[in-house]
Amino acid sequence: MPLDYKIADRTLANGLRVIVSEDHSVPNVTVNLWVNVGSRHEVEGRTGFAHLFEHLMFQGSRNVASGEHFSALMAAGGRLNATTWFDRTNYFETVPRGAMDLALWMEADRHGHLLDAVNQENLDNQRDVVKEEKRQRYDNMPYGNALIDIYAAVYPKGHPYHHATIGSMADLDAASVQDVHDFFLSHYGPNNTVLALVGDLTPDDGFAAAERYFGPLPATAAARREPVEPLTALSEPVRDEHVEDVPSDHLYIAFRLPVDDTPEFFASSLAMDVIGGLATSRLSRRLVRREQSATSVSAHAMGFVDGVSLGFMLIDVADGFGADAVEAAVCEELVRFAEQGPTEIEMESAMAQTERGWLSSLASQEERADHICHSATLLGDSGYINTYLDRLAEVTPALVQQAAVTWLRPQSRAVVAYLKQDGDTQ
Amino acid sequence: MTSQDSATSHGSVTQPESVLERPEVSSPEPWSFPGSQRSVLANGLGVVSYDIPGQYVISVCLAVPLPLEREPRELEGIATIMARTLDEGTALHTAEEFAELLERKGIALGAGVNEAGLVVDVDVSKRHLSEALDLLSQAVREAAFPVKEVSRHVKTRLAEIDQERAVPGQRAAIEFITTYFDSGERASRPTGGVKATVSAITSPDLVAFHAANVVPSGATVVVAGDLSGVDVVSEIEQALGSWSGAAAEALEPREAARALEAERVVFVDRPGSVQTEFYVGCPGPDHQVEGGWAAYQVLGFVVGGSPNARVDAVLREDKGFTYGIRSGFRPRRRGGMFLTSGSVRADSTVDALGLLLDILDKAREGFTAEETQAGVDFISRTAPGRYATADTVAEEAAALSLEGLTTDFTTENLRALADVDAAAMTAAYNRYVTGEWTVVIVGDASLYAEGVQALGRGEVTTIPPNPQT
Repeated sequence: MPLDYKIADRTLANGLRVIVSEDHSVPNVTVNLWVNVGSRHEVEGRTGFAHLFEHLMFQGSRNVASGEHFSALMAAGGRLNATTWFDRTNYFETVPRGAMDLALWMEADRHGHLLDAVNQENLDNQRDVVKEEKRQRYDNMPYGNALIDIYAAVYPKGHPYHHATIGSMADLDAASVQDVHDFFLSHYGPNNTVLALVGDLTPDDGFAAAERYFGPLPATAAARREPVEPLTALSEPVRDEHVEDVPSDHLYIAFRLPVDDTPEFFASSLAMDVIGGLATSRLSRRLVRREQSATSVSAHAMGFVDGVSLGFMLIDVADGFGADAVEAAVCEELVRFAEQGPTEIEMESAMAQTERGWLSSLASQEERADHICHSATLLGDSGYINTYLDRLAEVTPALVQQAAVTWLRPQSRAVVAYLKQDGDTQ
Repeated sequence: MTSQDSATSHGSVTQPESVLERPEVSSPEPWSFPGSQRSVLANGLGVVSYDIPGQYVISVCLAVPLPLEREPRELEGIATIMARTLDEGTALHTAEEFAELLERKGIALGAGVNEAGLVVDVDVSKRHLSEALDLLSQAVREAAFPVKEVSRHVKTRLAEIDQERAVPGQRAAIEFITTYFDSGERASRPTGGVKATVSAITSPDLVAFHAANVVPSGATVVVAGDLSGVDVVSEIEQALGSWSGAAAEALEPREAARALEAERVVFVDRPGSVQTEFYVGCPGPDHQVEGGWAAYQVLGFVVGGSPNARVDAVLREDKGFTYGIRSGFRPRRRGGMFLTSGSVRADSTVDALGLLLDILDKAREGFTAEETQAGVDFISRTAPGRYATADTVAEEAAALSLEGLTTDFTTENLRALADVDAAAMTAAYNRYVTGEWTVVIVGDASLYAEGVQALGRGEVTTIPPNPQT
């Protein structure tokens, strides 16, 4: 089905790319900024820094007091936050139309003049907060470090995706105020940022407001490096086993995938769905429904831009079954899928679920703005939200099979296993 | 506008020439919750629809009143297993066939239960709405509960119980209801049941439970999305009009009793924890509280709804003890709770708990006009965005229907927010928050239980890591 969300795209003289998507269904505007810096740009010894830096963006800037970004915008009816990921950092708020100017003024203040407010005290405080975020989400949770282990197993040391965005405690401890200054001066600036304004405004409103608040900022960010050399699939299996106090055995079976926004990536993503992602996936039918050797199977494809992406399956092994036998069954299905390719019904199902998921994600202004920034920042194309499904529909069963042959063979897997230690009480 | 007050009061500005003045916030545009069309089919099924242009994925929520008290004591968790197996084999299709029928049309079907009832939700692109309603109807009316699928879901739930015990936040929530509610109350035990009761659930049990409880009378189906060109009532009549079943005996909702010894501290030992989880609560109101719900919604925000709320202003932004702790009033059908939960760095356990309880207690002294206004503005002005999508509207309507309410409640509550002032906030808070806390802690008891005891906040009971259950 053709989508026709309105898109108007302009780049200011200082390099800020501004995209306006007019939608008057709700009297709100989503302000979404993507900065083309993420944990892939971190240097050795400073892992986790892009994310720590993101926290400091809430601690005040030239004309905004610490914490005021939250308090002032929330009191105006804003819902806001920020996220950091391998490829980028994202700042966003959805506000009533009458607070859009305030939101843009505050964003411009911190994106242009953060360093006036950075000091040792707020760095130390947010370092502590981030360490608690790490403990809460990773260190104090069963299997909490599995994704971190996956990245390390799939990508070679030194690769941009080898370390997780959350970083290490030691590196967080080492971060200094000088690092904050250096990072801001290298990576932040309108020429490394995309601004999307989605909602109750016209393109003229949006471009004028963007010019008014961001136009005065100089193009300070350093040029981006070229993407690193593409990686091929792993040539032999990698294994990382942890025997821990966990409630059941978990197998994470991971693969390198082709770089995002390519027919090959779309095909590999559909292959992941058919093998392990759908409720009717091959692994779900076999391991969960028939053999009942797993209580659940899921599969995920994450598109990245630096020469490679990631796919992984999570298999929760059922009590009384061995993780090795389950892994062997997975390998059999990988071989079979590469030999057969998807059936017509499998293709139909994977396409239909992807379509519904995509439309659901476009249902809110917030997520639509996020997709727009994603595609404009990392893929170049501001109209992606309207064309993605058509491009996906062009992926053939043969291409899906080829993706499996190239990327999803047993010998190309990295397995992170969390195995229940002996001697647990019942 | 009030939201500008903070701009001048925080004066941390070392100003070279700033070209642009801070913009004023202008008043929000008028907005109202999406309007609904309501009708009742001959079989007693209520139909409510919300036409929301531009929402191309249609959300359908079927809410069936099914108070958990209807579960047989020895089969608790049966409502949860039933919800999970509705689409795992029907009169016409095997579980695998049914899953395939859903996925080929890109239909997402899920179901779950809470204390008030069963909610089955379906998301589907508009062009497949009819097929989705047909499959929803088959799942709800003709679920067959095949033995093999039931035993699989029982095993999955048993594994899930182990997972819940291992995750500190979930472990705290389970221990909290055990401590807080009188042990005779269904509310004192997990919605999904415990190992002994879940293990006992069989296919014939499910067939009987389903027949007795999943009936159209009193149920409500909500359809939300871009409904131009869709005759909702006719579509629902076609799919669910011939659904029948004797109405189950009505259970008048009543407030679940708090345990006589609920005011105490329970420390669940989790050796080696690098963080400590807190779950702190006391009684609260339900949606129909005298004087209105609006003040309680604002209180939740002001006390623990943001990084600058009273709790995190100290524990996160000042002390750096936590990534975030949240407070809020949680209504049940009758009565409710005021809950605060979150995790802190392990070695701050004693300090953080003392500070947290002090903040919660001290709030009884009152709220300022400024923080009240900020909270009122946040709740009321975020409403258009919070209810902008088909799924959020359908979920709101379905949840309220199980309390005997419609989204007129949502509209009226938004209007009532305008009347909430600092005095109303203080009175509302003091009406429920009397300092009689139930406190559950999940962390390393060997290191911190003594310190918690020394806080003098009540007798500390320590629960060993793996009690035999």
